[in-house]
Amino acid sequence: MRWFFRRIATCLVLAWAVSLVVFMTLHIVPGDPAELLLSTGGIAADPVAVKELRIKLGLERPILDQYLSFLGGVARGDLGTSLVDEFPVTKEIALRLPRTLELILAGTLLAVVLGIPAGTYAALHRGGLFDRIVSGAAALLLAIPVFVVGTLLVLVLAQMLKLMPAGGYVAFAQDPAKHLTLLTLPAIAIAKSLAAVVFRMTRASVLDALSKDFVRTARAKGLAPSRVLLRHVIRNSLTPVVTVLGLHMGTLLGGTVLVEYVFNWPGLSTPLLRAVEARDYPMVVGIVLTISGLFLLINLIMDLVYAALDPRVRAA
Amino acid sequence: MKRLWLPGGFVAAILLIALLAPLLDLPNPIRQDIARRLSGPIPGSPLGRDEFGRDVLSRLIWGARTSLGVAFASALIAGAIGTMIGLVGGWFRGIGELLTVRLVDVILCFPPILLALLVVTLLGPGAATLILVLSVLYVPGFARVAYAEVLSARSNDYVEAVRALGAPTGRILLRTVLPNIAGPVLVQFSLAVAAAVVVESGLSFLGLGVVPPAPSWGLMIRGARATMEQAPLMLLWPCAALTLTILAMNLLCDALRDWVDPRTPARRPRLRLVDRLLPGLLPPAEPKPETVLDVSGLTVEIETPLGAIKPVEDVSLSVRAGETVALVGESGSGKSLTATAVMGLLPPAARPAAGAAWFGDRDLLRLSEPELRRLRGGAVAMVFQDPMSSLNPVHRAGDQVAEAIRAHQEVSVADAKARALDLFRRVGIADPERRLNAYPHELSGGMRQRVMIAMALANRPRLLIADEPTTALDVTVQAQILDLLAELKRETGTALIFITHSLAVVAEIADRVTVMYAGQVVEQGPVAQVFGTPLHPYTRALLGAVHESDAAPVGIPGVVPQPHAFPTGCRFAPRCAHAIAACSAAPPPLEEAAEGRLVRCIRWTDLAGAKAA
Ligand code: SF4
Repeated sequence: MRWFFRRIATCLVLAWAVSLVVFMTLHIVPGDPAELLLSTGGIAADPVAVKELRIKLGLERPILDQYLSFLGGVARGDLGTSLVDEFPVTKEIALRLPRTLELILAGTLLAVVLGIPAGTYAALHRGGLFDRIVSGAAALLLAIPVFVVGTLLVLVLAQMLKLMPAGGYVAFAQDPAKHLTLLTLPAIAIAKSLAAVVFRMTRASVLDALSKDFVRTARAKGLAPSRVLLRHVIRNSLTPVVTVLGLHMGTLLGGTVLVEYVFNWPGLSTPLLRAVEARDYPMVVGIVLTISGLFLLINLIMDLVYAALDPRVRAA
Repeated sequence: MKRLWLPGGFVAAILLIALLAPLLDLPNPIRQDIARRLSGPIPGSPLGRDEFGRDVLSRLIWGARTSLGVAFASALIAGAIGTMIGLVGGWFRGIGELLTVRLVDVILCFPPILLALLVVTLLGPGAATLILVLSVLYVPGFARVAYAEVLSARSNDYVEAVRALGAPTGRILLRTVLPNIAGPVLVQFSLAVAAAVVVESGLSFLGLGVVPPAPSWGLMIRGARATMEQAPLMLLWPCAALTLTILAMNLLCDALRDWVDPRTPARRPRLRLVDRLLPGLLPPAEPKPETVLDVSGLTVEIETPLGAIKPVEDVSLSVRAGETVALVGESGSGKSLTATAVMGLLPPAARPAAGAAWFGDRDLLRLSEPELRRLRGGAVAMVFQDPMSSLNPVHRAGDQVAEAIRAHQEVSVADAKARALDLFRRVGIADPERRLNAYPHELSGGMRQRVMIAMALANRPRLLIADEPTTALDVTVQAQILDLLAELKRETGTALIFITHSLAVVAEIADRVTVMYAGQVVEQGPVAQVFGTPLHPYTRALLGAVHESDAAPVGIPGVVPQPHAFPTGCRFAPRCAHAIAACSAAPPPLEEAAEGRLVRCIRWTDLAGAKAA
């Protein structure tokens, strides 16, 4: 239990550090941030507009004051309003976040469902045809950038073979079948590197577990092979896989931005990219904070799962 | 080393082409020619032209220059700053560490692309912004590597000494630590370059990286996406270039890492899980009725790259109900392999090549895996050497025992648990109710071995094989476990094969003893006789060594030979104080010295006579 609270405390400290970095970014960039935001292609901005923006961003106030109100806002869930259309950032995020979450969840699920059995099978038949083919494929999957996979999926499956829609979104409540069809390709694109990573890690840790004494004990007990495999080999191989899942979540979350863009999935990345282009700073900050917070949360969950899987961690 | 060449060569080629781009006499990559928009391969443009009529090949090559330029620049900057931060943090520790290494670690709390987007919003897109952002992203990686390396260097005696002599900190850092971290930093550098290429192309693809019309692979994919219906090939070129480059870089990173860190094991021989059929077994001798286990002529063979070796050769031994037979020898003598062969638990590369192991009327060496499985943990059970590693760390002790019960008996989970509780009591585990729910790491060494014994006894075995069950335990616990085994054996009448290298233990627990050396039985007989009048020089040497140490027999010079280097004659000859020329001429046979006494030494009569005289 002490372990649990310590872990939560670390998570909170990190969250605070993240918010500090985000806040500081505005102040450590060289030059006047308001001027930077308003300048395009080296053309100096209109001083009146700069002044206006400075007031809007609160840059005229003492820095501590700014920081406290920023922190208070984050704590209350008030992330300010868009510079473009005055729309509350929190509202925009609340609308989009579930769709991004759905994509992440689907991608992770797919990666786990494909990666763990494939990794186990490859380890059991190490050096066999399946192992060699899938290990090679995993190296290739890790090398193809996520947006290339997405674009190629659209090109081949949607444009050339006309098997799948090229992208878009329909609410689940409106048309469940259509919703899931549209979810498929983005989920595959998101899952591709994670599946490769999970495959590699599972393969390595199953190979490792197979040589363990306790597996020999399990066989010496006369357990059925399936039980030895499930309870003593795979069960013990899961912990490193969970660690690796946590480590790769950052890439995965970054990947969602690209995938949502490729497949027109209206998650957080649409307003994010629009805001980056329009130099809509509060909106960008809000979304970056949200996704980074999500990243911390996912890692917390992974650690809890890890502890649930391995009693030794809980004791430490 | 070989694995470095192919990806290394490929990466080098790409780098060279990118570097030489200005000399290659390529068409201007940004000159538009709308008339030849999206044309296929034409003279002067072997890969065709893009949506603005720009030459695709030229853009690919110039794009490589942009991507790699950004990637290398940022990896270099990150490497310089990160390594410095790691050095400083590792050297000063304390507050210095907090302000450097721990601080930059916060960067790792952001998904990389998002931090990049935040900065792009402020500074606007462009190559300079990219380099800045990417440098920041990869600083923590370098800092961590350098930090870890400084910590290990600090504990180095040499560095301590130089420091004590008052050498200035800066110079020590540069002179001792820098050469050591070159390898890991190089690996980190290649990782950072590969990752930077991915992020750069991703951002350019989103239109937030390199600013058009400058060529970049990400931008080319972005552009070709709009026209992919008319010109799918236009999309494939940059995709292929990008993927191949990253693939080669990843492979190069892996190879570099293996090269720098040789800890990664070399390829082991292929493992086969499916038990092979056992061809060519000799017709076995008839089983003797009164024995529980009768091993005769057991030979174990292992396929190695150097040819087949026989770490166990022609081993025979038997054990009756209620009897304890000790199997003694130094490590490497083949005693554990003999036991695992009987259990059918040989490692996949090893197989029983000859002989038989009669358990009642069944030959354990020839049983099918399902039949063996029914016996294993049931009528034949085994206790292993190291109870910590032999228990599964993620399951409760009680569950692991209950699992053994349910593998052989049709009982409910609750019943199995109740029986596990009884077993825990019988093997003398204090507070058994609580221990039932404990995980192995929460138990003491002796307690864990008691759990292993409870597990082995769960289905009332007729034969129990204990493989060095007390070696991993401290002396007082050893005695307790031995007492427990002796007591349980008396109660149940189980036949016990006790494997050990300690003769002191043998005297205490066994009725008969089999001494093994280099895969062969060298002496066998009742404990009192073997200890009273040892016939084989090896046994004598072991007995001579017993008082000095329980571990390795210090009285005998040298070590047990490896199976692929067994001497042709007597295998003990190189270490034997009584060896004569005849000993190395031919393998000595196993002779019957007296009723139930076997010895493998051509001079045993001389030596016995000499001793008597
Ligand atoms: S055969 Fe010769 S070398 Fe071997 S044990 Fe006997 S005396 Fe020693």
